[in-house]
Amino acid sequence: MAAVAVHQFAQCITCHAWSPDHSMVAFCPNNNEVHIYKMIQDKWEKLHVLQKHDQIVSGIDWSARSNRIVTVSHDRNSYVWNQEGPDWLPTLVILRLNRAALCVQWSPKENKFAVGSGAKTVCICYYEQENNWWVSKLIRKRHDSSVTGVAWHPNNVLLATTSTDGKCRIFSTFIKGVDTKESKASTSSDSKFGEQIVQLDLSFSWAFGVKWSPSGNTLAYVGHNSMIYFVDDVGPSPLAQNVVFRDLPLRDVLFVTERMVIGVGFDCNPMVFAADKTGIWTFIRFLGERKESASGSKSGSQFSEAFGKLYSQSKHGMSNDAIEPSRARGGIHENCITCIMPLKQPGLSRITRFSTSGLDGKVVIWDLENQEDLSDYS
Amino acid sequence: MAETGQFVEADNAEAIITRIEHKSRKIETLLKQSKPVEALKTALEGSPPKTPDERCKSANWIVVHRAIMAIKDVDGMFSSLDPEYYDILMKYLYRGLSTGDRPTCDQCLRIHEKLTERAGLGCILRSLADTVNTV
Repeated sequence: MAAVAVHQFAQCITCHAWSPDHSMVAFCPNNNEVHIYKMIQDKWEKLHVLQKHDQIVSGIDWSARSNRIVTVSHDRNSYVWNQEGPDWLPTLVILRLNRAALCVQWSPKENKFAVGSGAKTVCICYYEQENNWWVSKLIRKRHDSSVTGVAWHPNNVLLATTSTDGKCRIFSTFIKGVDTKESKASTSSDSKFGEQIVQLDLSFSWAFGVKWSPSGNTLAYVGHNSMIYFVDDVGPSPLAQNVVFRDLPLRDVLFVTERMVIGVGFDCNPMVFAADKTGIWTFIRFLGERKESASGSKSGSQFSEAFGKLYSQSKHGMSNDAIEPSRARGGIHENCITCIMPLKQPGLSRITRFSTSGLDGKVVIWDLENQEDLSDYS
Repeated sequence: MAETGQFVEADNAEAIITRIEHKSRKIETLLKQSKPVEALKTALEGSPPKTPDERCKSANWIVVHRAIMAIKDVDGMFSSLDPEYYDILMKYLYRGLSTGDRPTCDQCLRIHEKLTERAGLGCILRSLADTVNTV
């Protein structure tokens, strides 16, 4: 079974993140708080409640090495939380936004973080030693709509963003005094801060959830039109593949290896995509178990329920089975999955475990071990 | 795929209309030879017209509508219609449903049910989410 643990933490979870050793999980229960739970004697216990934001917390990231939590919220602010003794102490980061912050991610070296916002702006924040202060530098006038996702390239300089204008863009975030010359050299161009390297114009609808492959050679992002995009050779002449699938759109993606991607979203069940030997990406299968439920509409999403009604007048009883023969609902998640996080084991290069959270308030841990048919792609 | 690609500036509205008229004549010939699926494929080729011009879109819709209404055997149609046409066909089905015309809606709903079985909800999402290449 691919899902190894299911925890119902709240009514609804907007986002979650794991502590470096995966013993603690931080999530936002769809309000202005961040709850931190720890597994103590096989039971999850609430250790901390981080209260500082005024509105819904839309993004959390927990840095793996420096053990700092960054949170962003619809209240337009961001806090960096440092653990001192038993307490988590917040530091306000003034983002200078006039719209909600939507997503956040620490850079690989953890000396910067990026915030996407509804103000068509991306903030790159870094710590200034002399002022003891987090500074926010803005990439303005590049996006035509809200920035829904940010992803750092492993080189700590390139940043990919997705936006509701349908585009995926890649920027240089080189900051003098923070980034060293070597990291700049590896990007093979003299790009200044905020310079756009490439704009990918593949989607005609909202784009969400962008990620780089572990090596940084491939980029994946999703559109609200039930498509996923894979981009190789990111640069002046990128090679793009559009993969169409027959189910509801995705919200977020995760590379588990160079050649395998997990996508999560409105279908409530993680989807596996993989590249074959020739580099062609295809949809492989759903990861969750497919329980055969007698009444598909009862456990289905609101969408398929409404859809069943459309046809049930003429063909009562068989409508849902006819529409979705391959997938009966009643999977692990009961609502849209909005967040997927890797659970990287130290010493292992590939990711075998990851967690998902969604609008049903569950955090589910998935394991890719013992999925024989998928081992070809790892 | 049929709907991807950028607007071609050189294609002015008149040239597009001429092409649609040509397509229309070809479709009539195919229908006379009782090849409704070939007619539908021809109608869907190059659709939607790569222009924001509503006149062209309407002209093309009339042609596609003609081909859709000529389909009698929906299951038979899908056995010879390639998946690459599914997304664009779905868009025209929704245009048909938006007319409110009884026979058109009946026909579009009949095809819609079978198309959704084959192409899934993703196909519907693609037709609804694309606000750039409207039909």
